[in-house]
Amino acid sequence: MSAIITGSPWPFLVLAWPLLLGLVPLVPAWRALAVRVLPLAPLPALGFAVLGAPGTTGMPDLLLGVELAAVPGGALFLGMTAAVWTAAGWQAALTLERGVRSGILAGFWCVTLAGNLGVFLAADVVTFYVAFAAVSLCAWVLVVHERTEAALAAGRVYIVLAVLGEAALLAGLLIGAQAGDSLQIPAVREALSDAPLGGIGLALLVTGFGIKAGMVPLHVWLPLAHPVAPVPGSAVLSGAIVNAGLIGMLLFLPPGGGWGGLLVGLGFAGAFGAALWGLTQANPKAVLAYSTVSQMGLILALVGAGQSVAFYALHHGLAKGALFLLVGVAMAATGRRRAATLALAGLIALSVAGLPLTGGGLAKAAAKSGLAPALALAVTLSGVTTTLVLGWFLWLLARDDKRAQGQPWGALIAGAGALGLAAVLVPWALWSGATDLPVGYALRSGAVVEALWPMLLGLGVLAVLCRRPVPTQPPGDLLHLLPARAVGWRLPDIEPTPPFGARRGGLRLLVRAARIDAVLSRWPMAGALLVAGVVAFALLLP
Amino acid sequence: MSALLPVLILATSLITAAITFFLPEASRVLRNALNLGGAVLKLGLIVAMLVAVAGGAVYEASLPLAPGLVLLLRVDAIALLFVSLSGTLWLLTTVYAIAYFGTKAHQSRFFGFFSLCVAATTGLAMSGSLISFFLFFELLTLSTWPLVAHKQDGASLRAARSYLLFALPGSAALLWAIIWLESATGPVLFTEPPDLSGLDPWELRAIFALFILGVGVKAALVPLHGWLPAAMAAPAPVSALLHAVAVVKAGAFGVIRVIYDVFGPQTVAALGVGVPLAALASLTIVWGSIRALQQDEIKKRLAFSTVSQVSYIVLGAALAGPYAMIGALVHLVHQGLMKITLFFCAGIYDERAGVKRIEGLNGLGARMPWTSACFSLGALGMIGLPPMAGFVSKVYLGLGALEAGAPWVLGVLAASTLLNAAYFLPLLYRLWFLPAAGDATGDERAPVLVAPAVVTAAASLGVGALAASAVSPLRWAELIITRGYLP
Amino acid sequence: MSALLACLVLPLLGALAAVALPRRAVAAVLAGVVALTLVAAVGLAVAVHSGGVVRLALGGWSPPLGIALAADGLGAAFVLLTALVMAGVAAAARDEMTPQGAGPRAAFGFWPLMLLLWGALNAVFLSRDLFNLYVGIELLTLAAVALVAIGGRAEAIAAAMRYLIFALAGSLLYLAGVVLIYGAHGTLDIDLVAARDAAAPDGLALALMTAGLLVKTALFPFHVWLPPAHASAPAPASALLSALVPKASFVILLRLWFEAMPDLGTDRALLLLGVLGAAAILWGSLRALVQARLKLIVAYSTVAQLGYLFLVFPLAGGAAGAQPWTAGAWTGAIFQALSHGLAKAAMFLAAGLFMAAAGSDRLGALRGLARVMPMTAFAFALASVTLISLPPSGGFTAKYLLMTSSFAAGQWIWALVMTLGGLLTAGYLYRPMAALFAREGGEGVQTVARARQAVPLVLAGLAILLGILSAAPFDFLQIGRPEAAEEGP
Repeated sequence: MSAIITGSPWPFLVLAWPLLLGLVPLVPAWRALAVRVLPLAPLPALGFAVLGAPGTTGMPDLLLGVELAAVPGGALFLGMTAAVWTAAGWQAALTLERGVRSGILAGFWCVTLAGNLGVFLAADVVTFYVAFAAVSLCAWVLVVHERTEAALAAGRVYIVLAVLGEAALLAGLLIGAQAGDSLQIPAVREALSDAPLGGIGLALLVTGFGIKAGMVPLHVWLPLAHPVAPVPGSAVLSGAIVNAGLIGMLLFLPPGGGWGGLLVGLGFAGAFGAALWGLTQANPKAVLAYSTVSQMGLILALVGAGQSVAFYALHHGLAKGALFLLVGVAMAATGRRRAATLALAGLIALSVAGLPLTGGGLAKAAAKSGLAPALALAVTLSGVTTTLVLGWFLWLLARDDKRAQGQPWGALIAGAGALGLAAVLVPWALWSGATDLPVGYALRSGAVVEALWPMLLGLGVLAVLCRRPVPTQPPGDLLHLLPARAVGWRLPDIEPTPPFGARRGGLRLLVRAARIDAVLSRWPMAGALLVAGVVAFALLLP
Repeated sequence: MSALLPVLILATSLITAAITFFLPEASRVLRNALNLGGAVLKLGLIVAMLVAVAGGAVYEASLPLAPGLVLLLRVDAIALLFVSLSGTLWLLTTVYAIAYFGTKAHQSRFFGFFSLCVAATTGLAMSGSLISFFLFFELLTLSTWPLVAHKQDGASLRAARSYLLFALPGSAALLWAIIWLESATGPVLFTEPPDLSGLDPWELRAIFALFILGVGVKAALVPLHGWLPAAMAAPAPVSALLHAVAVVKAGAFGVIRVIYDVFGPQTVAALGVGVPLAALASLTIVWGSIRALQQDEIKKRLAFSTVSQVSYIVLGAALAGPYAMIGALVHLVHQGLMKITLFFCAGIYDERAGVKRIEGLNGLGARMPWTSACFSLGALGMIGLPPMAGFVSKVYLGLGALEAGAPWVLGVLAASTLLNAAYFLPLLYRLWFLPAAGDATGDERAPVLVAPAVVTAAASLGVGALAASAVSPLRWAELIITRGYLP
Repeated sequence: MSALLACLVLPLLGALAAVALPRRAVAAVLAGVVALTLVAAVGLAVAVHSGGVVRLALGGWSPPLGIALAADGLGAAFVLLTALVMAGVAAAARDEMTPQGAGPRAAFGFWPLMLLLWGALNAVFLSRDLFNLYVGIELLTLAAVALVAIGGRAEAIAAAMRYLIFALAGSLLYLAGVVLIYGAHGTLDIDLVAARDAAAPDGLALALMTAGLLVKTALFPFHVWLPPAHASAPAPASALLSALVPKASFVILLRLWFEAMPDLGTDRALLLLGVLGAAAILWGSLRALVQARLKLIVAYSTVAQLGYLFLVFPLAGGAAGAQPWTAGAWTGAIFQALSHGLAKAAMFLAAGLFMAAAGSDRLGALRGLARVMPMTAFAFALASVTLISLPPSGGFTAKYLLMTSSFAAGQWIWALVMTLGGLLTAGYLYRPMAALFAREGGEGVQTVARARQAVPLVLAGLAILLGILSAAPFDFLQIGRPEAAEEGP
């Protein structure tokens, strides 16, 4: 028997630690307090990412043979994911009411986290799928945590899409694995571009990942789920979990080909459409959700165009996580504290819109470098819509009158703020490692102008909008186009009956057939039959 | 020794059955000790054989009957797969049944037929010739009938009659197929493929169809499945055994035998009968799931789920490639573990909380956490979510489908996943997320009743999560394929 | 050799003793006779098994002057079957055929008639002479008719009368055929008839004898006398009548068509026998399906089960010479006769016990009896297994052999009939079983002693055992098998 674990234990620990913490709520006595451990769960991942995600773990006995190693660019994703989860965990530990329900949340939180980290560590498709399923399905609990009618309805949409995505994903991965005759991700990726069924496989994968990444038109769960989920849940959903879909696209889609065009098309549709639709929303978290769809659209478009997006995704993840958390922080604050919270949110929003000198500005500049002019223009233009939708978010947040009593604002702002500042600053630190562009690239005057005019335009339009808002729409957009769901659809209750049941008619016929025996037993008939028998045999015998 | 072991294995349950029948109703301790002892002894023998067979041993015992009728017991890797499953689950179900029946009446009769049923299943698994297979197949039919009818109320008797009305014509078809085939080839042993050259292709197709008709009734292939949902009227331990090991698995195992040992995958492919069978299995998978979706009774929903899930095995066998075959064999075990868990739990819900319909599950998770956790694990496994057992089966079936050039099967698997999710997830949702009704009662202060479910649930998690380890069913299935079926 | 003689003589002596001796002594003598004859039958079987066909020329005169007796595998097997069934029936009847239970006349008449029947049966199974066979079967008929009438009720008398008339007509036809043979060839010894030169009246003679024997075997459409007769006799008598009596005339038919005149069997004549057999299977089963009384169900079941026997003719008979499948068909038919004998005896005895307990054999009255009499119900179920021909019973071996032959011969239609028959059998036996195993009912019935319940269980168990250990009986039946049923190249 081979060793249970081979190679470096670190990738294994990154996943094992949150899973271990996930067991805490199973102990009834600890259940109510389980949320307190949540900020600790992502710490090994954070450390691992800072160290550059070294090492490989093999667990040959587990599943079909598990192999863990950071995927290319995985350290960035891991670090960002861990940071978002840490901050969100911090806020969850501080704000969620203690009780059984938060205990359940804590358990699933840890499994979701492990899955979310796992997708960046899986070296084979089965492990990847397992991690993806974990993050995808367990996140349902984050959506329905409040158990309100709206939360359950959103949960229903979420789980349907998630299961659909899982099924599509598995089918797609199987096609790749069979064609490549290997479970290793690079081999599967190779095989998918050549195999006869590769096209179908890729379509299935794009569907599966697209659902998670909020790709239009599969994004409908996002705007439904975010307003109803607890604030830390929304933060990880939008900041971290969507990236599981993104990493899938990065790992499995072959460079170039028709998929690029499709992604660019759908991506920009989302980038602009979702941002504009976000203006019809009245709930700040729904607006943020549409912003996420919009930003993910932009990222997917960049993926389709062959750009490196890890850097951009890093910034967006951190920023979006922070923005969601700040929604919760704002609720805990009044007066100057509230103003400070809003100011921080504004800074992060500007960063997302691409303000020069911020991390967002850097990310956008890096993303545009080397892009075809038309696409670059589109990216630039997206600054307008981003400014609009985030501005609308800030406007709504400022006027939002939901308040949470007795929450420690200081501790909350520390967590969310740290995450937000990371979003603004960390790109600077990583710039040289992530791109080969000079540091001054994003500060060229042309770049600054290019970054600023869309923001100014957006702010202008926003000023008008705040006076004359567009009519409010319920979240969920395309979902409402579906025909009324087929409720109560039943097949006729036909089950096969046995081949010969006790059919009354047949029985009656049989009972009547008794007369034949009566006829046969009449003496003349019996005698005649006897004679006939003799004659028949006599004739038939020689 | 090598001839003795298979006979001993059979004897552990046969003798148990024979003695149990004559035990007075009152001697509970003796009866329980006897049944448990038999099951434990059998499991010990199985473990001994597992070790030996893994090392390459084969056990054979034969009894020649009239010419052409050879009663042959042969324990090789594939037989042992099924024997181990039935032996393990027999022990667990016996424990469960002892707790379930408590002091209820007619236990001698029940346990007698119960052991007989297991003997039949074991014999069927060990059968080395078609006629032995048929013999135990029929013994199974007969010994399950009193189990289904055990409660002797209207529903049970109707179910039992319906069972016979399906099973006996099925047996007739099977007998026809066997005799038609053997009249041309002589006695068919599973070890040596029969010479089919004396039969023209259409005859062979007809024989194949009769075979499938015969074993298909037990495997509950649509449209021969009507008896299975009705049979859920039986007591919970019976349902558990029926759905996990005994009857439906006998049918599925029969399909495997017919395709691999009677006709051979090449002939099946040449005759062009594999694809129609795969299509029929697919239809069954989808139809069973859709019907499950419509059921409001827990056991009925589970029963239709069985209809659907067992056809995974048929599907894998019909696709006739190494991967698909591994998927089929491993699902034989996996489905057994998962489904027996679900039925154990359904029985506990009924017994401890009086819950038969899905509305009754609301909020039971808090009141009966162990049972509900087991039920949840089983259900998630059925959907095929990793790291449960069902996931491993599905991966291999999917790979096998692609290997066999039948990518449409992926669609079937995906549809089945979705439908399984559609009819299982609401149950879990009710268990854990909905508030209990005001007058709901129920507890699980019956450790002996719950323990078997916990064991099987843990096992169905274990065999999936540790599928790649050296002692998993998956490895055993791969061993079977590398030993016997790789060209 | 002495065993052979003992099989013939002991029952007849016993019958005399039962009439002549005072009642007190009868019981012990009867027990002795039954035991001794059983031992003799076993001895005969052992002798045949070890030394081949046992022949006995009476008085040292060999045919054509003397009369030959011989025990081949076929004959010895039936002698053994008869002995087993007789022993079982005797054990069961000890308690049932008492003056208190069945009335003084039945109690007195049953035992000599039973032993007479035994002697006659053995005579038929062991004779090699057509006239001897006539004598045997005539004796048999008289004893059987008397057994039907023994109960004394009006319907029993009527049924017996009907039986008598049918049987006498059959005997007359048979006798006419024998006369024709004797007139043409001057011998009635089967082996000598087989070696004869063909003559003109042979065909007519065989036709007459066959028609006569068909009536006695109650083959469709001459079956109408059987159900009322078997249903109205006392249960132990019914067991004998159903299990053994029709087998005698069937054995004579086998002797005629396979040993004496195999050359006459044209395909069409054989086909006619097969068709009648198939009709009997289907018709008897369908009629059994709608009966409301257990004994009638079992009686109609006999009509159906006898039909299987006649499938041997198209499968194994004929002048075309031995085929690869003929041995299977021939042996299969005899397996059917043997297993049906054991199972049917068990079934009638079980029915008798049910009647004794419930006071009626209407299905409604039988509800819930399985709880009161589990052993008997189990025996009934085991016997049903054989009749439905589920493995591993003797009935299964029989039908397996017959069906294999029918496929090998390309006559798969018989296999279809047998399959349908099996399903219908399951159908008509399910009804009494469902009643027996019903949850309600069974209150207030008299319980029956376990020892009495054991008898049908043993007989039914033997029928199952015949299937499980079918290799030895199969080989045994090959001893002295007629050439026409030899396994061909």
